[in-house]
Amino acid sequence: MRYFGRRLVHAGLLLVGVSVLCFLLSDLAPGNFFDEMKLNPQVSSETIVALRAQYGLDQALPVRYIRWVKSVVRGEFGYSFAYNTSVSSLLGLRARNTLLLTALATMLAWLIAVPFGVWIASRPGSWTDRLSMGGTSLFLSVPELVIVFALLWLAIRTHALPVGGMVSTGFDRSGPWEKLWDLATHLVIPVTALVLASLPILVRHVRASMIEVLKTPFIEAARAHGISRARLLFRYALPAAANPLISLFGLSVGGLLSGSLLVEVVTGWPGLGPLLLESSMSRDLYVVVGVVMSSTVFMIFGNLLADAMLFIVDPRVRVE
Amino acid sequence: MATEATARAPKTALMRTTALSKSYVQGEFSGKRFVINAVSDVDLEIAPGCLTALVGGSGSGKSTLARCLAMLEKPDAGEIWFEGRTLSFENLRELAHVRPKIQLVFQDSAGALNPRFSAAQIIEEPLEIQHREVGAKLRARACELMEEVGLSPDWADRRAREFSGGQRQRLAIARAIAIKPIFLILDESLSGLDLSTQAQILNLLLDLQQSHSLTYLLISHDLTLVGQVADYVGVMHQGRIVERGSPQKILGDPQHPHTQQLVGSVRVLESAFRTARAGSGR
Amino acid sequence: MAKKRKIIAAGVLLVSVHLAILLAGFVAPADPAAQNREFPFAPPTRLHFVDSRGHLHLRPFIYQWTTRPDSFNEYQESQEREFPVQFFVSGVAYRIAGIFACHTHLFGVEAPAQIFLAGTDNYGRDQFSRILDGGQISVAAGILATLISLVLGSLVGCIAGFYGKWIDESAMRFAELFLVLPWLYLLFAVRAFLPLHISPTQAFLLLIGIIGTIGWARPARLIRGIVLSARKQNYVAASRGFGASDAYIIRRHILPHTYGLLLTQAALLVPQYILAEVTLSFFGLGLSEPKPSWGNLLANLQQYNVLISYWWMSLPALALIVVSLGYLSVANAFHERLQSVSI
Repeated sequence: MRYFGRRLVHAGLLLVGVSVLCFLLSDLAPGNFFDEMKLNPQVSSETIVALRAQYGLDQALPVRYIRWVKSVVRGEFGYSFAYNTSVSSLLGLRARNTLLLTALATMLAWLIAVPFGVWIASRPGSWTDRLSMGGTSLFLSVPELVIVFALLWLAIRTHALPVGGMVSTGFDRSGPWEKLWDLATHLVIPVTALVLASLPILVRHVRASMIEVLKTPFIEAARAHGISRARLLFRYALPAAANPLISLFGLSVGGLLSGSLLVEVVTGWPGLGPLLLESSMSRDLYVVVGVVMSSTVFMIFGNLLADAMLFIVDPRVRVE
Repeated sequence: MATEATARAPKTALMRTTALSKSYVQGEFSGKRFVINAVSDVDLEIAPGCLTALVGGSGSGKSTLARCLAMLEKPDAGEIWFEGRTLSFENLRELAHVRPKIQLVFQDSAGALNPRFSAAQIIEEPLEIQHREVGAKLRARACELMEEVGLSPDWADRRAREFSGGQRQRLAIARAIAIKPIFLILDESLSGLDLSTQAQILNLLLDLQQSHSLTYLLISHDLTLVGQVADYVGVMHQGRIVERGSPQKILGDPQHPHTQQLVGSVRVLESAFRTARAGSGR
Repeated sequence: MAKKRKIIAAGVLLVSVHLAILLAGFVAPADPAAQNREFPFAPPTRLHFVDSRGHLHLRPFIYQWTTRPDSFNEYQESQEREFPVQFFVSGVAYRIAGIFACHTHLFGVEAPAQIFLAGTDNYGRDQFSRILDGGQISVAAGILATLISLVLGSLVGCIAGFYGKWIDESAMRFAELFLVLPWLYLLFAVRAFLPLHISPTQAFLLLIGIIGTIGWARPARLIRGIVLSARKQNYVAASRGFGASDAYIIRRHILPHTYGLLLTQAALLVPQYILAEVTLSFFGLGLSEPKPSWGNLLANLQQYNVLISYWWMSLPALALIVVSLGYLSVANAFHERLQSVSI
């Protein structure tokens, strides 16, 4: 339990650090949301001053930060100038969508990578192994962007899947099963893109880790005992190989989030990605900070999850 | 305080420490810090021109003491005098002046010599740093030193890792005497070598002591060796010097229980050896 | 041995691609900015060896595109005249590395024909020339940003690892902040906080500045690790015993250990950073029209009709893949060599 206590405190400190960083960066920003407005001759400078005061932009950085922290504690993340609504309402919805996409893609990617990696590790040097290594090498060089477009092209050409967005029009009027189906078909392209982008590196790591473990004496001994192949691989070797893989999981969350940003924008999935892009372009300060913080929370959560899994799986961690 | 202490220090001592202490914090183990008192309250005197030895088991603090004396570690407490003057890490100019006079020869020659360097580069390094020689003269001096320690100058361009253990130790010695120190600390420099190589290196060291008028501090766990060569012996245990005297006294009539234990184990080994030899009918 | 051949092949490929990009003006037959409004979205020019009368030509030739009489955006080859592909022709002037003026091109065809090896875009601009020109931006951005990251990372890693204690602690905690953020989010956010409408040169410099600066953390951690273990070696202590300064020790004993890692990191980071530039330009946060970069070239694909009907507009992606593949193979090779060499 102390282990988790420390990790949580650590995570909290990281979040604080990131928020400070964000605010510092925002202060460096030359110009702000109201610069565009200033150019408009119809808007008087008094109005701008009033607006700035209303949003609290005219105060010093530490003051703004404290105000922001106080409102965060209350569950509010500031105000969006562009959308004219609270940041938290914007974030909540978008974050949920991104979480859906990323979590699904992560699970799927690992569900495919682990058995596949274990399988090819059990027959190193075979043609399936070499094919996989070659294939993953190639795929590693294909950027996410290209994968998404390739999938979009496929989808448009074959008219098999809906392209873009999260749901079709008329969603609200459909029954629950239709809603699910609609959501699922919209999920196919983004999830496939994310999975295809992360599979190569995962497979390679699983394979490398397993090969290391399969060389060890204790596996040799187990094999000599006549334990069946499948059991050997999954009940004996895999748990031993799990440690570096779980650490990789923590790291892969970051990559998946970055990937999802791209995928979301290109496929029109209404997640944090498009929100960040829009607010970046329009200098909607509090939204940008909110999105960055949310993505950090996801990262940290992913790492904590990885720590938890490590704790459960690896007894050496428990002894510490 | 300082003048009083200097007055007390016998004029014959080359180096003297008073109440020297050094401790380490060995990492954090789930919140708790383990403090290791490597050296506690050590008073030591090094007589010039002699071979003083420090013996003790592993973990007794010998190496830490050696590094403190070589001014490679900053002691937590106590004072060090060298040639009548106090040494401290604060007085950098004084320290820079003294450093070339005290040199340390490490035990692990593989770790003490940069494996990517050639033999010549290793020996030239101190000369370069101290601006003793430049250019062709630098190389010539390095070759001279190689010959002095019994290595062929033809090997000057070989990488350090291509030498054997004994040869590497010779290189380390050559490097140590390059800038003409007056005090050489040998930290387990003979351990890890096979017996015949040990004997060779020992002879080399004794010759060098003669020719260069060096003072030695030999640190070892090998009591037999120490008994053969030392003028004075100090026994360390858990960071303190528990007994000191001439080798005859230490080996013949040990007082402190730890010394007795050390001497006792030597006797046991000797008698076991004798029995084995008798048994094999030699 | 097959592995070695693969690596040499990758190295050769990489070098030739870089050479082609460096000499973009020479290799490209046309001016990247020149518009041919009469040829919007023309497909790649086909190379022929056998003409319509069945004769074999040793030198490849092309037919000019003309618009079909029945539609305005489909093309057919006009078979009236063969235009042989000539090499080392004189064409539009360009500058190598912005300094040397030249007007010889590697290949070309006689006017009024034009050779569009990679088709044209909606303004009729030769995509092949644009890909090469854009490559200069994208690849240069990747390499320069990598340099920035590695220099920054080495500096911090060296100081943190060498001096240790609170310097190390604070540096590594700071690095952790950068590592805990998903990098693309950080990139976008930082880009957001800087002026949007800036000149192409400013945009380029800004881009490499941002990408390079936020990527300092991982190299810093790795270098710090190496410096920490190198610092503990006894030959460093011996050096100190000779009176060596910190700078001397770092230079002679510690830095040489980092070279292997720096090479591998460079080979890994360059393709990542090229991709970063491409991504930013793609979304309009990097280099924008009319200066080509692989990013804004690919941005055309956001219009689905372009994606579907005009396949040659995706060719910048192929260039990207080839470059990434080359660098990754090289990185693999370095990594393997590093593993076998111990400290």
